[in-house]
Amino acid sequence: MRAAVFLALKDLRLLMRDRAAAFFTFVFPLAIALFFGYVFSGTTSEPLRVAAFVEQSSPAATMLIKALDEDGGFKLTVTDARAAGEQLVRRGEAVGLLIVPATYAEGIDGVFSGGGAKLGLVVDPSRRAEGAMLVGKIHEVAFRTVFATVGDPVQFARVLDRMEESLKASDLSFTDRLAIRTAMSRARTMSTKGADGSAATQSQSLADWKPVSVDIAELSMRPGVPANSFAISFMQGIAWALFGAVLSFGSGIAEERQRGTLVRLLVSPMSPNQILFGKALACFVTCLATEWMLVFAGMFLFRVEVSHWPLMVAVTLVTAFGFSGIMMLLAAGFRTQGGTQGAGRAVLLVLAMIGGGTVPLVFMPPFLRVASNLSPFKWAVMAAEGATWRSWGMSEMLLPLAVLAAIGVFGLTVGTALVRRSI
Amino acid sequence: MIRVRDIRKSFGSIAAVDGVTFDVHRGEIFGLLGPNGAGKSTAIATCTGQLAPDSGSIEIGEAGSPRAARARALIGLAPQQIALYEELTARENLVFLARVHGIPEPVRRADELLDMVGLLPRARDRVATFSGGMQRRLNLAAALVHNPTAIFLDEPTAGVDPQSRTAILDVVQRLANEGRAVIYTTHYMEEAQRICSRVAIMDRGRVLAIGTVAELIAEHGGDSVVTVDSLAGEHRVRTREPLREIERALAEGGATAVRIEQPDLEMVFLALTGRRLRD
Repeated sequence: MRAAVFLALKDLRLLMRDRAAAFFTFVFPLAIALFFGYVFSGTTSEPLRVAAFVEQSSPAATMLIKALDEDGGFKLTVTDARAAGEQLVRRGEAVGLLIVPATYAEGIDGVFSGGGAKLGLVVDPSRRAEGAMLVGKIHEVAFRTVFATVGDPVQFARVLDRMEESLKASDLSFTDRLAIRTAMSRARTMSTKGADGSAATQSQSLADWKPVSVDIAELSMRPGVPANSFAISFMQGIAWALFGAVLSFGSGIAEERQRGTLVRLLVSPMSPNQILFGKALACFVTCLATEWMLVFAGMFLFRVEVSHWPLMVAVTLVTAFGFSGIMMLLAAGFRTQGGTQGAGRAVLLVLAMIGGGTVPLVFMPPFLRVASNLSPFKWAVMAAEGATWRSWGMSEMLLPLAVLAAIGVFGLTVGTALVRRSI
Repeated sequence: MIRVRDIRKSFGSIAAVDGVTFDVHRGEIFGLLGPNGAGKSTAIATCTGQLAPDSGSIEIGEAGSPRAARARALIGLAPQQIALYEELTARENLVFLARVHGIPEPVRRADELLDMVGLLPRARDRVATFSGGMQRRLNLAAALVHNPTAIFLDEPTAGVDPQSRTAILDVVQRLANEGRAVIYTTHYMEEAQRICSRVAIMDRGRVLAIGTVAELIAEHGGDSVVTVDSLAGEHRVRTREPLREIERALAEGGATAVRIEQPDLEMVFLALTGRRLRD
């Protein structure tokens, strides 16, 4: 047993010394996860994708939506229902959902009479940075629309009329009312004839004034729906991590044979079973390490959440076991390193692709989803998704775990027997 | 120490080893000589337990069959191919093998062996950076990590520089002096003549002759050739007693130069097989 562990440690050291193998085992899956994560999230230098829902149509709401739509910083999708907008956020197709409430127009009218307009914004909690940027941009556009309102003499007259009504209803003293009426009269004159005050004074006085406030709420991510695109892409990355590990170690026995070191091992006190156990152990450890690397990277960098830790542990262990079996089958199939790597690439690449390595399982067309059942990568990715955003329980997890365990048992039993015959 | 009795091993219709029998004793260097395809490597693979013989028996000391774990602990093998991990350093290679063999203090053992083959200053260098001769020396050291008593060296000096060749031969001689049994295969007759206590000539899977170098030459090498140059010309004589022939030529007078061509293992091989060793 100790000898097999030393053999596994030696293989892991060799893997780390082989830059190409280490790259494809550890870096490439991470790169794939990041690539697909960004591709699906659309978080590039393009305009912010925003969904908008207008509760009640009004000239002020229409003006705001038009301004947002015409602003180069946004790519706006107006939805008919709030739920549809939230769905866009959940799917990562929008950074947030802007809700223009029914009271918005009234708020704009009362902007100088103690009210002010309110907007709602629902953001993806995993994209808070973009959400903050979005709030800033909404403030900017909303501010412009309020000024447009004030700059229009007809609209501004309506605002002043509202103020006059409020003043009548108030219990202010006569002197206060007189002072306010004088100011309003002056403002009415300014809106029709132009201001004679300095621009600087106006800007300063407006600096602290916020005519529109934005109430921000974080969207609660429903179980069964990925929090963001990285929740999908990092589980996809696991497929490529397993691909790299199986390919590296699958050719390990052929490599030992070709370089003559297998002879040394066979002449040592190690039995052939111990040698093969050492090989499988190295593959198992590497699969496990890369799986957890991706899970932790997803968690800490992109708020990918593990919904069930014990199941996640089980998933990674069983997946590593299953793919160690696949590694052994690959090792049994070919005597040369070139043969193993060539055939391994061809077969595993197809299996990884139809198993969710490129097109995520959730986006697969029905026929591909059926075909993916043949791929062990599908069961690995699905199990990992089950322990994260799918929020599966044990009963749902049983099938993928059973499939992976069966693959492991079959691969290690048959593969070991075949390799033993060949050495 | 190594007892081989009538072993046979065929691959399909080809008999790679065909009824080979020999013994190798402690402190002895036993040479297996023969051209490529003679069956030397198959004989070694069978004696080290890599291959099971179709028939016959092999015993390693008291431990019995080389396929038994107890016997494998006594066997040290330096394969013909450089069997090392090129991406690891010299020390890492030896430490790994020492650990596989369960050697206590593997690093110390690795450094002892590196010192023995003159590679201690390069202990931390990757094998990939070594010359062919240095790799051969390390290949030999790797066979010795577990202090084996039955050592099989398959062409250990193939393609090495003279300096490494000398170093390897010195180590092999030292191993025999320490009381180990060494089986040594080679193409190089001069090496065999220099270090082998006994030699078996193999061809087409069979042992054609076995004995000390002197015995083989005496039995199969034929006569020495004495060439006497004189004013009258060159005179060549085949004889079993070349010194007597030289004495006679000198006594007759007129000899300006005398040369002796003694038979060697190459001639033994030629006599036994009808072809040269490196044909």
